Amino acid sequence: MDLLNGVVALANFVLIPAIAYGSQLALGALGVTLIYGILRFSNFAHGDTMAVGTMVTVLATWGLQAMGVSLGPLPTALLAIPIGILGATALVLLTDKYVYKFYRAQKAKPVILVIVSMGVMFIYNGLTRIIIGPDDYRFADGERFVISARTFRDMTGLEEGLALRTTQVITVITAIAVVAALFWFLNKTRTGKSMRAFSDNEDLALLSGINPERVVLVTWLIVASLATVAGVLYGLDKSFKAFTYFQLLLPIFAAAIVGGLGNPLGAIAGGFVIAFSEVGITYAWKKVLVYMMPPALEPDGLVQILSTEYKFAVSFVILVIVLLFRPTGLFRGKSI
Amino acid sequence: MSGNPYQDDRGNKDASITNPHGQGTLIASGTQVRPMPGGDGPFLIGENMTGGYGKAGPDILHGCTIAVEKGEIAVIVGPNGAGKSTAMKAVFGMLDLREGRVLLDGEDITQLTPQARVRYGMGFVPQTSNIFTSMTVEENLEMGAFIRTDDFRKTMEQVYELFPILREKRHQAAGELSGGQRQQVAVGRALMTQPKVLMLDEPTAGVSPIVMDELFDRIIEVARTGISILMVEQNARQALEIADKGYVLVQGANGYSGTGKDLLANPDVRRSFLGG
Repeated sequence: MDLLNGVVALANFVLIPAIAYGSQLALGALGVTLIYGILRFSNFAHGDTMAVGTMVTVLATWGLQAMGVSLGPLPTALLAIPIGILGATALVLLTDKYVYKFYRAQKAKPVILVIVSMGVMFIYNGLTRIIIGPDDYRFADGERFVISARTFRDMTGLEEGLALRTTQVITVITAIAVVAALFWFLNKTRTGKSMRAFSDNEDLALLSGINPERVVLVTWLIVASLATVAGVLYGLDKSFKAFTYFQLLLPIFAAAIVGGLGNPLGAIAGGFVIAFSEVGITYAWKKVLVYMMPPALEPDGLVQILSTEYKFAVSFVILVIVLLFRPTGLFRGKSI
Repeated sequence: MSGNPYQDDRGNKDASITNPHGQGTLIASGTQVRPMPGGDGPFLIGENMTGGYGKAGPDILHGCTIAVEKGEIAVIVGPNGAGKSTAMKAVFGMLDLREGRVLLDGEDITQLTPQARVRYGMGFVPQTSNIFTSMTVEENLEMGAFIRTDDFRKTMEQVYELFPILREKRHQAAGELSGGQRQQVAVGRALMTQPKVLMLDEPTAGVSPIVMDELFDRIIEVARTGISILMVEQNARQALEIADKGYVLVQGANGYSGTGKDLLANPDVRRSFLGG
């Protein structure tokens, strides 16, 4: 019984949150990796693209709520996501037209575009703060739990509860659907294949009659959608705050690089590696250990390796280790 | 290098933020998408071409003329640095011509971008980076047929008949193939548009002699289907043996030209370029 309690506690505090967080990171890292593969630079504005998409979704959600629209047990934000995607797409396409396109025409070196994307990041950053403000906003509504801790305890008679939040379930289901759709698109459709061809060899793609501007357009469309979905899922799960989204850039980049930049499969794996390590290392394991180990070995402290404030350090330590020992990432991406 | 500050990466080699792999270098010279009426003459001719790379680069070609008739094989040979590849690139619109013009089937295509030339029936196989390494052989061929809106399965079947090994390896990533097989993929990709002219930049560079013979055989087969072939070759002797027309370039100008057999028999050409 103690062992079972331990497993439930582990699932409740580590596995479920990490899977949800990992899915969000994976969606974010997919966007970064696509831009890296096709536009050939690391897009530092990605976290803030997520913020803009989420902000539009939040505003639309509030509008829908004011009109009395709701999805019943599901959060209203799901209805507002298409509007958020539209907003983010419009913004990145405008940015591309007035900023990135100039540098593409110059055949600018990617490192220049990296710096340009930093400038874009600051603009987006300010835009979000001007429009919605710098505070913490909650926009999740509907049923909070699929199974609450109390229900679970009553059902099973265990001491430990297992809470499964609606947002966590939605996150995982959405992530699986989005990733499946993306892989289908990249591997089976003509446009998807032309994107891979462009990523592989720009000159030859041009000689095959592939229109580079169209590839870039489709890439931005996909990236804006991925960013918005990832941002909304994260916001539903936690809350929306512009600064948090800016900070999310760090674990997202770590995930993309750990998985292997330019490799979509790697982005997903990287997302989960980073999420599990972050949650695992900052979790106080005492509760689980007390259940799982004989009473004589009961730990004195909290058995928390790092306090939660240091969670970003975890991504970076993993990043450094991967870059030292497997520079191309877990799945062979572009060599570094 | 080119004086463009945007093209200076200041020594950055950090691939965790930049991805130079596969970045394009092609700057199209032309501006038009439609050819102009030209005149009579050979099927494809680059006439009196003078020009070099970039807007201000020095001239590499000096009044060079290259022509090929329908269904024939024309070969450009010459010493290193003679401008062989440059002449071919000029015909394909990859550098600015200061003088001269390019005619395809009686139409003036001098101002066409390389992409537009592909649509008008020119296929080009670059010397290096001529396949999509991360994609399967079949996907490479599909990308070759990207501009086609009709059913291209028949053409793919023809390519597989021409290069049976590709059918065997069609689900394998092209980057995993041997040098000779990669060249076959590259030629196959260019054939997918059903070009009227196929241009090959040193198709046998870096392949073994046996594979080279086989590639030449395949190229003759392609020519027999009515496609004109223009190629640059290092292996001058072998190339001239299969050529209907040969051009020996010397310092960016026509040195000798004639049928392949004539050039092989010409004592000057033999002494200077074929090693006696």
